[in-house]
Amino acid sequence: MTDAAFVPRVGADRGRGLLGWLLTLSLPLLMGTMELAVYAFEPRVLSLRNIVNVLNQSSYLVLFASAQMMVILTRGFDLSLGTTVSAISVASALAMTGLAAANAPDLLVVAAGLIVGFGFGALVGLFNGFFVSWLEINPFVVTLGSLNICLGLATTISGGRPVFNVPDVFSRLFYNGVLIPGISIPLMIAILVCLGLHFLLNHTIFGRSLYLIGNNPRAAYIAGLPSKRFLGLAYVACSLLAAFGALMLTARTGSGEPNLGGSLMLESIAAAVIGGVSLQGGVGGVGAVIMGTLFVTMLSNSMDLLEFGGYAQQILLGCVIIVAIFLDRLRLTRG
Amino acid sequence: MSQGFDALRPATPSQRLYRAYAKLGFLPTVLIILVIALALFVPRFLTLQNIFNVLRSSSYLVILSAGQMIVLIVGGFDLSVGAVVPLASVVSALVMVWAKGVMPDQTAGIVLLGVLSGIGSGLAVGLINGLSVAFLKVSPFIVTLGTLSIATGVALLLTNGIPVYGMPQSYVDGFGRGLWLELPTAVYLAALVVALVWFMQNFTRMGRYLYAIGGNLQAAIVSGVRAKTYLVIAYALCSILAAISGLALTAQIGSGQAVISAQLTLESIAAAVIAGVSLKGGVGKVEMVTLAAFFLLILTDAMDLLKIDPRIQTIFLGAVVVMAVALDEMAKRRAPVD
Repeated sequence: MTDAAFVPRVGADRGRGLLGWLLTLSLPLLMGTMELAVYAFEPRVLSLRNIVNVLNQSSYLVLFASAQMMVILTRGFDLSLGTTVSAISVASALAMTGLAAANAPDLLVVAAGLIVGFGFGALVGLFNGFFVSWLEINPFVVTLGSLNICLGLATTISGGRPVFNVPDVFSRLFYNGVLIPGISIPLMIAILVCLGLHFLLNHTIFGRSLYLIGNNPRAAYIAGLPSKRFLGLAYVACSLLAAFGALMLTARTGSGEPNLGGSLMLESIAAAVIGGVSLQGGVGGVGAVIMGTLFVTMLSNSMDLLEFGGYAQQILLGCVIIVAIFLDRLRLTRG
Repeated sequence: MSQGFDALRPATPSQRLYRAYAKLGFLPTVLIILVIALALFVPRFLTLQNIFNVLRSSSYLVILSAGQMIVLIVGGFDLSVGAVVPLASVVSALVMVWAKGVMPDQTAGIVLLGVLSGIGSGLAVGLINGLSVAFLKVSPFIVTLGTLSIATGVALLLTNGIPVYGMPQSYVDGFGRGLWLELPTAVYLAALVVALVWFMQNFTRMGRYLYAIGGNLQAAIVSGVRAKTYLVIAYALCSILAAISGLALTAQIGSGQAVISAQLTLESIAAAVIAGVSLKGGVGKVEMVTLAAFFLLILTDAMDLLKIDPRIQTIFLGAVVVMAVALDEMAKRRAPVD
């Protein structure tokens, strides 16, 4: 088990015959089979329009799942992600509507929204990172605490009601504007963020250190890495990515929603882990997150097209999560 | 190193105070201080009515957290308890309503069937969790995340989200809202659960095995503990206790509810963690978990009495959970190793 974590995933799968290859490709195969099966009943699933739709939908979840990956790599996770998103949505919407009501120029309004959003994200990340890394409190407990704190803040500052009238310029910038015809802005942002993260994780000391901290925290410390600072920074990065996603979602709804992040915490963890990010730390990457996100989005898209009820979707999603993880475990432990 | 000499010197008052604190433990100390402070400063806190309320509302959390603790001790995790509570609630209520149609006069039989089916639904979830963790070696976080989703979906699908009415009145009045010797029945139920779990932890082979499995799985297996079997039992017990908590809640509310509280899972884990149960496994005592559940509910109750906005209460509780664990952790690090 522990040994498997040390071996790069690609290499570990080499030379294991047909079954090994099938297992390596289990997630893409599962996705392909699923889409074909759905196609038999509902041809619209493979239409260009639906595929574009799935990609656009995934561009939000991929940010949240990447955020989650940053801390899962270090053997942690962030339960507060969902309520952080809600709190950021409300706080930035309040800042923007307030300034817009005072007839401030567009540039100032948008800047205020961004500063409040990312500033709030950085604060939550610092809180989580400080307790996890310097006080060595279990991430579950720390982020459970900040989950409640952010939930309380989101409902208190909004009075429990949505904040309407987010300026159009903000929505144009992050949702329905056109920069390159054919590619939506959220998708473009998602691609850029994924490229940036890929570079960060593979070509910077900070990124490489996260893997080592997750694989063997003691070795990371002995190797002289500033482990504590990097671990704390991982939580800051996580919350900043969540803040980015929250701002994009706020632009989409055009309002600050105190319940925006409801199911995001579990969805983001599920997407990352289904893609192959290991909860034991040190394994995973942007590619895994993209695969996991696409899978979760395709699944719910297919169920929508087949007109499954919401309750039945919930049951099926639960079953699929377990099966996907089981297949992943099989792949890692074989050989 | 110099501890041996220090021990020979007469203790200063502050040292004596610290030792008393170290002997009593962190949580009981905080709880005692909290209760004294509330009794002094919050009117109506020490009224009989209010103490009943706190006892009753803590009972459900005590039962739930005791189960969560068992799973945490074997190094696991159960996110699904928050869904088992409504599932057991809905299943038991539906079965009772059905049985009432079939045999209207047999109240005892109706209640028995309902209770058994509720516990059975919990057991089913627990077995899925336990078997997946023990034999498929899937991470408990993910399995129970999956069963959380499944059980919630099933409870909603069975009822369409509409409360199920029509349970026998004697079940609701006699058990759910009844008083025995002036105390709500749920309190006795919780006390019984705590006593049984305490006995299991301290005086049975199974109790020791559970600690051993959580402390060092490999060592436990090598010493001949049938670890897989006990893992399954731990998850099954946790879900059964969650189902029992759900049944008691159902009886008190008077209807089967598919939507009870989204926070139950997190509350049960918070109570266990405040009680010093290690998320790494191998450590945890049910009497401490009981105190921690009281601690959380007393805090909530005091804030209610002080008319603090529930939304601000959430913020406060979140901060308290982190602070309690942080203080406990720092005290442990400072405490001399003996």
